[in-house]
Amino acid sequence: MIFLLRRFVVLLCTLASVSFLVFLIPYLTPGDPARKILQARTGELNLDPSAVEAARVRYGLDKPVIEQYWNWGQNALHGDLGLSYTSRTQVSDLVGSALAVTTSLAVAALFIALVAALPLGSLAAIRRGKASDIAITTVTQGFVALPEYWVAPMLVLVFALKLGILPSAGWTGPASMILPAVTLSLRPLSYFTQVTRASMVDVLESPHLTAARSRGLSFAQAMLRHGLRNGLLPVVTLFSIWLAGLLGGSVVIEVIFAVPGMGRLLYQAVTDGDVPVIQAGIVCIVALTVLITTLTDLLYALINPTVRSSNVSR
Amino acid sequence: MSRVDNPAVDNPAVDNTASGALDGVLDPAPSPGAPRIRGLRRLRAWPWSLRVGLFGVLAVVLVLLATPWSAPFDPALQDLSNRLAPPSGAHWLGTDQLGRDVMSRLMWGGRFSVTIAAITLTISAVFGTLLGIVCARSKGVLDEFVMRVSDVLLAFPEMIVAMFLVSILGAGYGTLILALAVAGWTPFARLARALTLEINSRDFIEAAESLGFSRTFIILRHLLPNAFSPLLAHASVRFGHTLITVGALSFLGLGVAPPDSDWGSMLADGLPYMSRAAGLVIYPGLAIFLTALAVTLTGRGINVRPGRQGRG
Repeated sequence: MIFLLRRFVVLLCTLASVSFLVFLIPYLTPGDPARKILQARTGELNLDPSAVEAARVRYGLDKPVIEQYWNWGQNALHGDLGLSYTSRTQVSDLVGSALAVTTSLAVAALFIALVAALPLGSLAAIRRGKASDIAITTVTQGFVALPEYWVAPMLVLVFALKLGILPSAGWTGPASMILPAVTLSLRPLSYFTQVTRASMVDVLESPHLTAARSRGLSFAQAMLRHGLRNGLLPVVTLFSIWLAGLLGGSVVIEVIFAVPGMGRLLYQAVTDGDVPVIQAGIVCIVALTVLITTLTDLLYALINPTVRSSNVSR
Repeated sequence: MSRVDNPAVDNPAVDNTASGALDGVLDPAPSPGAPRIRGLRRLRAWPWSLRVGLFGVLAVVLVLLATPWSAPFDPALQDLSNRLAPPSGAHWLGTDQLGRDVMSRLMWGGRFSVTIAAITLTISAVFGTLLGIVCARSKGVLDEFVMRVSDVLLAFPEMIVAMFLVSILGAGYGTLILALAVAGWTPFARLARALTLEINSRDFIEAAESLGFSRTFIILRHLLPNAFSPLLAHASVRFGHTLITVGALSFLGLGVAPPDSDWGSMLADGLPYMSRAAGLVIYPGLAIFLTALAVTLTGRGINVRPGRQGRG
């Protein structure tokens, strides 16, 4: 219970501090916020002072900062995140659709990573110390050093420009999802393989597997009935942590492949100075990240009671 | 009791006795010189990852140091009559969209990439390590506060922190380094804290405490040397990651900006010409990959060096 409460407090503090920081963006940048909003909207540098004053009142910028934060936060909680400066559409719509795209991309990438990593890691564990283990371990560890903004153009070069079997960019259907998802999957693939290998090595050496084998079960039977469940648990918990990480970590991929997701939305907003979108995007990503990691921790604590006690005593 | 005159301080025997209690993971406070020579003699016993990695790191560092003298061309020298040329005797890796020599630009760009990553990592590692050690030694409110702050920071994806800071401060080297260091210190603080808690429970710390040594002295003389090797291994693995992230930010135009260019921005500049001159994209990315790979291998090698148990 204390554990639960503690996580909940951390979650609230994180959200409060992040949202306040994000809210402060227009005030931390040099210049008058009302002026900047008008400039971003009209593209004109010489603004009519009365228009600036009108904008100040309309956006509530004449009130004290704390009151503005209160209003902004209340609106945000009701799903009203304001209007985008540049496209003049509801920010919540923009963020909502972008979030759906990024989530599906992240899930696809993690699915690819998992499907490849589980057999690879298990194989490496079973053939520990042999050539196939060393090959798998070395190659997948090397994936960590691959810059994704290099892998992406290389894949485009081969599969889109040379072979012409996959689209090079865009978000038009399942085929356009393959290249970004594969690029994004390499890094989690590397970690998943290492974790699978490590935990399978533990399982293979565990007494209960030896006991199962000595009862006359074949290796495959023993693994299926007693080995896999224990061996794969750590990998599944990694899945959700990576899901959280990829939500804010796919910026470059989305820009390269023109995927209309959170990363590209946020990148566009930063280059255009579209403050409401930046604010909403950052708050959404951080909120989701914290929520997912908290849920994972809770789930893990449910499965494994030792985590609970060790956390309380800290 | 005068600490300066205490013979135990300069007597390596004290540390050696203490190190008898250690079991492989932790080194004794090194007596200067000796372990290094022993390590070199056992070069053949080093894991291949350490040997290959160190060789790669040295090669990159030497090439980048020698660039002002060895680069064949001025990286900014344009030759518009010779644009997007394939590799030739004069231009080993060809020329880019403005007729500039790709190899010279790679060498000069690497100096930016590697230096920025190194500065960022040094700041994060030093700050994080000291903070972690101080937290573990002092415990209490400070420890709790720092750990909660690092919880919050860990929730921020790096690219989001960078974009947040760019939207406030504008793009530039300072922003770039700050953005990566803001969250970069947290893993070091956590690792240093965990190591310190582990080392703290050992006999030689208690011995030093009962001899009346100050907290600062114990940290500098006993804790840091013992935590150094695992921290160095972690730093090497982080370096590859930092180098890639610096490149990513430059790629997006949020980092190194014209007239300067690094590997990430070179890659981005080459993208529109990829179908005509693929090298413009291939070489900068390959440079990042190989450098990151060499440093990462070194880090893994440090972890599995003989006489040490791998950690994390």
